[in-house]
Amino acid sequence: MNSRRLIILVVATVAVAAGTLTSRWYASPPPAPRAATVLPTPMELPEFSLLDQDGRAVSSDVFNGQWNLVFFGFTHCPDICPMTLQVLANAKRQLGEAGQDPLPRIVLVSVDPERDTPESLRQYIDYFGDGNLGITGELAQIRKLTNALGIFFEKIPRDDGDYTVSHSAVVLLVNPRGQFQALFGAPHDADTYVHDLPIILARP
Amino acid sequence: MRRSFSLLLFILAACAADEAPLVATDIVIKAPMPGMRISAGYLTLHNNSDAAITITKISSPQFGAIEMHETRIEDNVSRMVALAEVTIAAGSAVSLEPGGKHLMLMRPADDLDVVTLDFHAGEDVILTLATKVER
Repeated sequence: MNSRRLIILVVATVAVAAGTLTSRWYASPPPAPRAATVLPTPMELPEFSLLDQDGRAVSSDVFNGQWNLVFFGFTHCPDICPMTLQVLANAKRQLGEAGQDPLPRIVLVSVDPERDTPESLRQYIDYFGDGNLGITGELAQIRKLTNALGIFFEKIPRDDGDYTVSHSAVVLLVNPRGQFQALFGAPHDADTYVHDLPIILARP
Repeated sequence: MRRSFSLLLFILAACAADEAPLVATDIVIKAPMPGMRISAGYLTLHNNSDAAITITKISSPQFGAIEMHETRIEDNVSRMVALAEVTIAAGSAVSLEPGGKHLMLMRPADDLDVVTLDFHAGEDVILTLATKVER
């Protein structure tokens, strides 16, 4: 090999190496969630003793084994609760159609256990599709869960003796290890979930 | 069938629009969820007159009571606020839609199908509409 060929080879090698390094340097970052707040360290849930929509006793391990989108609401809520659950159901359907696997389960935790029996909760959540989970039970046990997660709710009396409940409108993502991993703030729209969930669920 | 009924209502509303001071569009009266005695209604109210219109009451033979409510989300907390009245400024419209102002429909009749709603402005019924409930 003469010196001229050697120089060309060296220059070419350096150019290829530089190109590779530069392209790595400028490579687009991994996709980031658009709206979800992902906890740097997922948070363990407290122990609780509640009932599912079939009246079975459940504790914090009820979330284990699948991803869960958890909303805190109540069945006597005609506007925001069905609206939010419909958004989650629409997002889940769209994700399913796009081939997302696994799909999260939709969970409604009652903030009105006084009126929300397992039976009424079952009718309510079944309206939004199959495989949804409803959780109700003793108020003190629900408070254990909501207090740990920073979920607010408050009974508000009405003039006619009835009452309504003000409540946090966030949706929490609980991972298959039963840990609180991400939070979606209100107002909710299906596009956000369709965009963000595959990114979060793909992370180890 | 539902679509043609809605279309008929829309045509009737459109025909009446010239003279009616208040016209409703995008009407959705939700059937109560299974096992529930409460539901929500949504619509847009157009004020075609040159004076503000204030809705003070809504009544219906198919519901024990109807209230005007607003869902307000502040700091990620949802609160339901009862509205004593809703005012539509002259020549403008107010939308009642999910997550905002809405009608809270209480104590529905059994076998809800077509519902009639009377919108009161003080002593007067200023708008009557009929629509099928959405299931």
